[in-house]
Amino acid sequence: MLNFPAWKVALICLVLLWGGLLALPNAFSDGFLGIQPRDTGATDPQSILEYDQQKAAAEQSWWPGFLPTSKVNLGLDLQGGVYLLTEIDPEEVAANRLESLQADIRDVLNDPQLITRDVPEQDGSTLPIRLRNPDQMDDALRRLRRINPTIGATGGEKIMSIEQRGEAMIMISVSDAAMQALAADAQDKMIEIIRRRLDPDGVSEVSITPQGDTRIVIEAPGEADPRRIKDILGRAGRMTFNMADSSPSSIAAAETGRPRPGFELVQDENGISYLINRTPVVTGSDIATANQGYDPDDNSPAVDFRLTGSGAERFGRTTANNRGELFAIVLDGKVMSAPRINEPIWGGNVQITGSFSMQEAQDLAAIIEAGELPGKLGFIEERTVGPGLGADSIRAGTRASIIGLVLVAVFMIIAYGLIGGFAVGSLIANIVLILGALSGLGATLTLPGIAGIILTIGMAVDANVIVFERIREEQRSGRSPNTAVIAGYERALSTILDANITTFIAAAILYMLGSGPVKGFAVTLAIGIVTSVFTAFVVTRWFTAVWLRLAKPRKLSI
Amino acid sequence: MLLQYWPQKTDVKFMSFRLPALVFSVVLIAASFFMIFTKGLNFGIDFAGGSVIEIEQPVDVNEQDVRGVVGELGLGEVQVNAARGTGVEGIEVIVIRFATQVAEDGDQEAAQQVANNSVRAALEAAFPGVNIRSSAAVGPKVSGELLRSGLIALGVALALMMLYISVRFQWQYALGAVAALFHDVIITMGMFALTQFEFNLSTIAALLTIVGYSMNDTVIVFDRVREEARKYKKLDLGQVIDIAINQTLSRTLLTSGTTLLALLSIYIFGGTVLSGMSFALIFGVVIGTYSSIFVASALVLMLGIDRGEKAKREVVGFQGT
Repeated sequence: MLNFPAWKVALICLVLLWGGLLALPNAFSDGFLGIQPRDTGATDPQSILEYDQQKAAAEQSWWPGFLPTSKVNLGLDLQGGVYLLTEIDPEEVAANRLESLQADIRDVLNDPQLITRDVPEQDGSTLPIRLRNPDQMDDALRRLRRINPTIGATGGEKIMSIEQRGEAMIMISVSDAAMQALAADAQDKMIEIIRRRLDPDGVSEVSITPQGDTRIVIEAPGEADPRRIKDILGRAGRMTFNMADSSPSSIAAAETGRPRPGFELVQDENGISYLINRTPVVTGSDIATANQGYDPDDNSPAVDFRLTGSGAERFGRTTANNRGELFAIVLDGKVMSAPRINEPIWGGNVQITGSFSMQEAQDLAAIIEAGELPGKLGFIEERTVGPGLGADSIRAGTRASIIGLVLVAVFMIIAYGLIGGFAVGSLIANIVLILGALSGLGATLTLPGIAGIILTIGMAVDANVIVFERIREEQRSGRSPNTAVIAGYERALSTILDANITTFIAAAILYMLGSGPVKGFAVTLAIGIVTSVFTAFVVTRWFTAVWLRLAKPRKLSI
Repeated sequence: MLLQYWPQKTDVKFMSFRLPALVFSVVLIAASFFMIFTKGLNFGIDFAGGSVIEIEQPVDVNEQDVRGVVGELGLGEVQVNAARGTGVEGIEVIVIRFATQVAEDGDQEAAQQVANNSVRAALEAAFPGVNIRSSAAVGPKVSGELLRSGLIALGVALALMMLYISVRFQWQYALGAVAALFHDVIITMGMFALTQFEFNLSTIAALLTIVGYSMNDTVIVFDRVREEARKYKKLDLGQVIDIAINQTLSRTLLTSGTTLLALLSIYIFGGTVLSGMSFALIFGVVIGTYSSIFVASALVLMLGIDRGEKAKREVVGFQGT
């Protein structure tokens, strides 16, 4: 047990060195490590100055490229940021889908002999149809089954389940299997749209991840206010260009409840009503790009967009035919702007002006370009940590760790003397290895994770203590230092493994079933268990062996 | 060093105290259940749903001002408390809490988010430049799931540990260890009900860690019991257990000591965010150490262990390198 051949020593040194190297970047600033700062797009002079300084530091860095540069990944509770859990309502997605199928259903049943009335309004995700004549039931069912839309391109589930109720009723609903698939499909689409909305340039560190089939987690480090994100994501993003009827008589008629057929009243932000044609000239899918720009008249922020070829063509033709009329740009049932057509607009470049701030114009451009959400996003959990609190937590955690470490070290040296000092040495190696493992694995350190590290500091000496106690007992029964140490380690091994495997089970369960910060706690606890068994059983033993060989003590002071 | 002055061989008759200890434990458990059912646990928003918003206290603003501003929003019962020195620099903060919002259209999740936004806006309007340190809003759907998954985690962990101990030892040990764990978890929860410390996700993490720690402690004593039982075949089981506990006593005290030192430093220096968790851990380490002796070992003594031929053939495992 005390023989450490050269290869074993080399291996131990390699592990310690490797852990140390992985942990090392945490001691330095990003600039020192040669990491280019991320351009956050902030425009205040202070941020620009900081950015330039970091950039200059990064360029001058002499940090060798072969050394690791990744630091411990801090959780949102430590670096500050917004965590949002959103949920998609599968029923709503199904209802939207059924709504879009109504036209097809109407078409196949469009034989006036077949149904009593027009296809009625749907009720949530079911659509009841009453036949004029029960004899036509078979015919109607056959025709309906011909509409067989599937989800996705190949092998999708049938969307509609068609059920006969009584003599003359047919219930069309979205089948359960399809509801699942639709929700999963909507989740994928939503993640893509959310990404394009929140991160149009692809530079920020927003993370958007699915959870289960209907939920999406959004984590935005550095963000201090959840309202902006909620606002950007809370809008459906349905954008249309509609011709408007601006004749005062039509508007007056509409306001008394008799709108021109095919038209409806829509208001703008200031409560001014517009009577717009329900059939849009251009929809969101005709928009190629949207960007924040400037109003040429007064240089205020505006949103510019370009239509696709066919959209531009349609828009040009319509504007050519409707000179002097208004057209309305409608977003989610609200008129954004309603300019008068002075001349035909060819080329497909359109601008929305309004009293936007720069940020609002940017957000709006991102929403328009990202397209329409397949359903509403509900926010069911929100957690925000300000950057100040995050920094405070790190300081508090670091201070508690250092104080804990010092207390434990003093206690061990008082209790065991020199050999206790060996245990302290391996305790420090343990912490370095934990930091190295966290950095190397890219695991996230959370506030409870810091608690996990401190707990590990307290418990890490346990394996050492078990061994030392055994050595004491062996020495008491008259063994020489060397044999006492050998026997001590040998007999303690099974106890140490049993004890740590049980704790490891708890950590593994926490990791598998926990969420967020709890997961972070589990990771540090599990890593701590592995590294403390290694340091206690290998590193301390090696220290002790070297010392026994060099000092050749008659009796262990233990 | 110091340990040299520790009596080399302690000879405490632990098992002779097992009846008073049993009474003590039963009383504690009964009291815990009583506390949990009468006073209840002070569920944080993780499990109860609702919102917490923490603002840094501006110099000239006190709780009353904040209560006035938030009270006008009609959010039901709103608690506003000042907490001193929660950050490192002893920053004073004001904590605003309100429960799950009732929504007429049934969408409580959305109502909660709206309420959170309106509190933020009201605070910003009333106290320009206010620093919102953190805010959280948890809808009732999520909070229910968090509680359920927390309890499931606790259950699964207990079952797996029991399985591991049954395989490595004998079923009597597993039963003793798990009884000790339930004992620890129930009493710690009782303590939370008594002190009304907030019971949240971190507390569940702490409970699971206590389970791990207590199990760790128990396994170390059991390992010795098994070893000594093999050595002294003729000795009475109670005596064997006493020998095992005495032999591991200095280890138990030392490890509990270092762990408590580390945990105390989180409790004192780690800020309020970690105080609930470290409180649970501190209490759990003490109760876990007690239970590994007076619950787990005592139960093994009552159940008896198989020391015959079968026991000889059991897996010794892990010996040597």
